[in-house]
Amino acid sequence: MATSKHVRIGKGISWMALIVGAALGLAAGLVYTWEIDPVIERNTAPWQLSAAAREDYVVAVALSYAANQDLLLAVDRLRAAGPNRNIWEMVAEIACDRVKTGKTITNSDIRVVRALEQLYAPQGASGCADGLYPTPAPMTFATPEPVMSPTPTLIPPPSKTPTLPPPTPITAEDVRPTSTPAAGAYVLTRLQSFCDSDQSGVIEVRVYDRRGEGVPGVPVTVTWSGSERDSFFTGLKAEREAGYADFIMEAGRAYTVSLPGFVSSAPVVEAVPCTAQDGRQATTSYWVNFQERAN
Amino acid sequence: MSRRTLGSLLVGILLGLSTGVFLGWGPFPVEYKNSALSALAPHYQEEYTVMVAEGYRYDPEVNAALERLRPLGKENTIAYVIDLTERYISQSNIRAIPIMVALVEAIIGADNLPPVMQLYRPTLTATSPAPLAP
Repeated sequence: MATSKHVRIGKGISWMALIVGAALGLAAGLVYTWEIDPVIERNTAPWQLSAAAREDYVVAVALSYAANQDLLLAVDRLRAAGPNRNIWEMVAEIACDRVKTGKTITNSDIRVVRALEQLYAPQGASGCADGLYPTPAPMTFATPEPVMSPTPTLIPPPSKTPTLPPPTPITAEDVRPTSTPAAGAYVLTRLQSFCDSDQSGVIEVRVYDRRGEGVPGVPVTVTWSGSERDSFFTGLKAEREAGYADFIMEAGRAYTVSLPGFVSSAPVVEAVPCTAQDGRQATTSYWVNFQERAN
Repeated sequence: MSRRTLGSLLVGILLGLSTGVFLGWGPFPVEYKNSALSALAPHYQEEYTVMVAEGYRYDPEVNAALERLRPLGKENTIAYVIDLTERYISQSNIRAIPIMVALVEAIIGADNLPPVMQLYRPTLTATSPAPLAP
């Protein structure tokens, strides 16, 4: 009896059909839950973000770091966005991509690139955005180095009291002729903003020699938006000083000003809105002075 | 196909289907890898908002800050920022409160700042002293 019962149960099931059915059912179940009606996407972590969303996230991390300078917090946040990546390279790549795709139009865009660079550059990472938008130099006057100038010495008027022989006046032969400055011979001596509704958004460039006299004919190059540039010469405005040249900025852009052979970081100025003393709205203007370096 | 085979097949399909649904919704749900910021977990969305608010201190452009918040997909971004700030105040989130209040103030203006946020303004405006009684 026991044998016949066992046989009857075995005869009631087709194991092959059961396995095939289970496989089909499992596949159908997974297709339904993964494709047709997946779990609603609610608890996404930063590492699951798309490239564009991750860029937004990393930009926010960089801006936050630029404000609070909390590196550990920034590292934690970046690791959440790229747990299996070199986070500094990831930041450098994003900065590079933003420059390549032209996201450097507004002041905000430029601040973003700067913030990203502030984050990755000290950690040894590098990218194509390196140094493109350096942080502007602080608006302070650089103390110019004292230069000897051949001022004519007046012969003292005759007096009744005996005097020592007058000092030998400096003659023209003692003054070395001004030569064309060598490469890298200029230093930035002044970078200061001002707001004037009559002179809105002007970069006033002045180039001096080591004696403090204006130098005409020096080519000045202004660059903006990464690749846009314009060159002009000092001394073309007869009504102004010999070493003077100016450039009108477009509001909302950042510009770098450089001279040939000026090897330091070119000063960056931003055409940001300002309110002039007369209460009118204007765009910030700048005084940018260069002076020939005294050896 | 015999009834025995058909029955076994149906039983197998039912077993497999229930197993597949259990696995697909339970231990092995679909894993998204190209998600938008709007799909971030609420905790991360709030952290992102605080980062943007903090970034406003470095990049003081209100429109840029709002533009950065837009991908969160909130129906009303400004209302969302205000709600989150009020929640942080109610939770005494000391670190985030002044950061968020500064952004709210920049968005809606100091005059429109809700009273509960006035205390946390980063820059309190000086008020003229009350006139002395004669």
